[in-house]
Amino acid sequence: MLWTDKYRPKNLKEILGNNKEKKIIQAWVDNWKAGNPQNPILLVGPPGIGKTTFAQAIANEFSEHIELNASDKRSQDVIKSTIGESSSSRSLFGDDYKLIIMDEVDGIHGTNDRGGVRAIGEIIKTSKHPLILIANDFYSKRLQSIKPKCQVIKMAKIRTPTINKMLKDIAKKEGIEYDKEALKLLAKKSNGDIRSAINTFQAIADTAHELTMEDVENITTKDDRSTIIDGVMATLKSKNPKHVKDALRVDEEPRLVMEYIAENVAREYENKNELKKAYENLSKADLYFGRTQRTRHYGYWKYASDYMGIGVSSSKKETYKKFSPIRSPTIFTLMGRNRGKRNLRDGIAEKMSEKLHISHSVAISMFPYLEIMFQNDELAWEISDYLNFDKDEIKRFRKRVIPKKVIKKMEKQKEEMRIEERDRRAEELQNQMFMQIPQEPEEEIEKEPCEEVEELIEEQIEEVEEKKKKDVQTSLFSF
Amino acid sequence: MSGPWVEKYRPQSLDDIVGQENIINRLKKYVGEESMPNLMFTGPAGVGKTTTALALVKSILGEYWRQNFLELNASDARGIDTVRNDIKNFCRLKPVGAPFRIIFLDEVDNMTKDAQHALRREMEMYTKTASFILSCNYSSKIIDPIQSRCAIFRFAPLKGEEVINRLKFICDEENFDYDDKGIETIVYYAEGDMRKAVNILQATASEGEHITEDSVYEVVSKSKPQDIAEIVTKALTGDFMASRTLLRETMVLQGTSGEDMVAQIYQEVSRRVIDGKMDPEFYITIIDAIADCDFRIREGANPRIQLEALLTKFL
Repeated sequence: MLWTDKYRPKNLKEILGNNKEKKIIQAWVDNWKAGNPQNPILLVGPPGIGKTTFAQAIANEFSEHIELNASDKRSQDVIKSTIGESSSSRSLFGDDYKLIIMDEVDGIHGTNDRGGVRAIGEIIKTSKHPLILIANDFYSKRLQSIKPKCQVIKMAKIRTPTINKMLKDIAKKEGIEYDKEALKLLAKKSNGDIRSAINTFQAIADTAHELTMEDVENITTKDDRSTIIDGVMATLKSKNPKHVKDALRVDEEPRLVMEYIAENVAREYENKNELKKAYENLSKADLYFGRTQRTRHYGYWKYASDYMGIGVSSSKKETYKKFSPIRSPTIFTLMGRNRGKRNLRDGIAEKMSEKLHISHSVAISMFPYLEIMFQNDELAWEISDYLNFDKDEIKRFRKRVIPKKVIKKMEKQKEEMRIEERDRRAEELQNQMFMQIPQEPEEEIEKEPCEEVEELIEEQIEEVEEKKKKDVQTSLFSF
Repeated sequence: MSGPWVEKYRPQSLDDIVGQENIINRLKKYVGEESMPNLMFTGPAGVGKTTTALALVKSILGEYWRQNFLELNASDARGIDTVRNDIKNFCRLKPVGAPFRIIFLDEVDNMTKDAQHALRREMEMYTKTASFILSCNYSSKIIDPIQSRCAIFRFAPLKGEEVINRLKFICDEENFDYDDKGIETIVYYAEGDMRKAVNILQATASEGEHITEDSVYEVVSKSKPQDIAEIVTKALTGDFMASRTLLRETMVLQGTSGEDMVAQIYQEVSRRVIDGKMDPEFYITIIDAIADCDFRIREGANPRIQLEALLTKFL
């Protein structure tokens, strides 16, 4: 038999901890018994902290109860046919209330449970019976419409000493020899999840009837990763390598963790040499992240992680006795805030790189010179015109707008140059044509025409003949 | 009416190109041929790699050069996939009115090794229809298989005399007054980089004064990023947070690359030690850190983290 069931508290009194919640629920139960209908209770909290236990303890206060949980198909019909009737009609015999417990309400989802949330809403509205809803995620979308109609009880993780006490009780009853420290560690590792603590305990000690430190150290509890904040905090505040290494086992991109440490170490470490050392270690961590990426050899990661964790943490002589909140790296907000400016810069660089055959970085390196050149009104117009800059892009290089007078003058000048250029081209073209067409007087002078001319004439004759053929064809067709 | 002088005075034919005589003479032999080997131009910035490539393309492809020419900048084209797609689409078509097509790929040394290997495959695939011209600053950053598929041309930094003559030529064309000292000052600051020289020249000219030593110096100091000096000063006086914030702003807003930041910080501190404003022994410890930072950034580390670590060395 599962110990979690075997040692589940049978009534509210047996439940450990959660005193405030117990009081609220007791009042709720008493009110129902006194004939005052109450709003449904919504129990929310992480898994394994006793929500179901609570509900079942409450159920024992009533003569009858119905349970539904995630494994049931929850389409509207199922909910209505199982509890719909019992919820709106009361028993003929006496004033007994039926308690309805719905577990994992936030698990209702998708097409299978179409209308499930609405059905629950209806039951809440019409029910004449006490109703308890259980959910994990307080912020779940599916709870949005349900929450306002319920009395919400948020349940926190169970404190480690409470779990420890529970485990001790079980050990006594099961006759298990245990190492006190091992039991404490087991309680701690469960991270507030009493169900997983009991399950793990049973897995280790059910047959062996003993619990040693080694047993506990060898187990990896379910997801016990800490947050990025815990990791950074440990790195800055602790000098214990094991503590730092454990805390840095976070579910985040390691480079992001490095950014966090870099951001905050400068706020935490006041001694210059400590800061120098810490940054030296961070830069080495970065170096190995880079090498990992380049070589795809993920074995390098462990060095990077030690440099930024133990390296930074051991760079301080003493732990600072102060509280400095962990901040997110300013570089990200800086980049976000300046997105507009960066886009402007890149747009300009793109235009320059096309016209000037240069890369973006070379283009950007030319900005300071452009800033100087743009102080000259005419040149500012000329360059903007050439590079096709818009108003904002011009503003990047000069604060004042280009005077209208200058713009007019320059546009006129440009037009004149365009016409000049066109005329020049036309003249050029004309000259080319004269060069190609042999002039007759010259032909007459030179009695013997050169080969080129002969060829040319031949070509012309051929062309004429071809034209004739074509003419015949077209006339045939057109006829 | 032709905007920046760097473009207006870009030599259009191989004969007009300043310096690099040996290279130009060799390249001229490809004009009029039915094919051309893949070429690689390597050398520092502003010595005429792109100009030479464009001039060569025009003289080989003639009137229809635009239709048969593809120019890509490897550092801007996002990812190797875009480069490959562009190349593929371009090479699919036969040359029109020219013996073959030419692809000019600039700043190839900014491509990752993986991307370079992919590029090498493209180069092999289209040998019949197209020739490649690659350009880069450091040929050592190019994988061997690509180098061995190219005829390599090493562009030397331009000689002072060559830059001087060009600048004077531009001044004459623009009817602008100058004195020799002014032109020499530009050449000194340009460090053999013609693009930089012409930019300084035009910026100085735009202020409407003669090109003199003073007017050039004014432009050079105006165009120099002030932020770097402040970042260094703040770090030296122990205000790390202020220094770091300024560094981040400079990198984000001006988009200065890590390599450029390192170069500018180096210039800043070396100026300080020469002016007697920094202890030489301390300077050398800083150089240690700068050199290391430079190396790491080029090796692929995150430039910002490395630069922030560098700033702590000034504390």
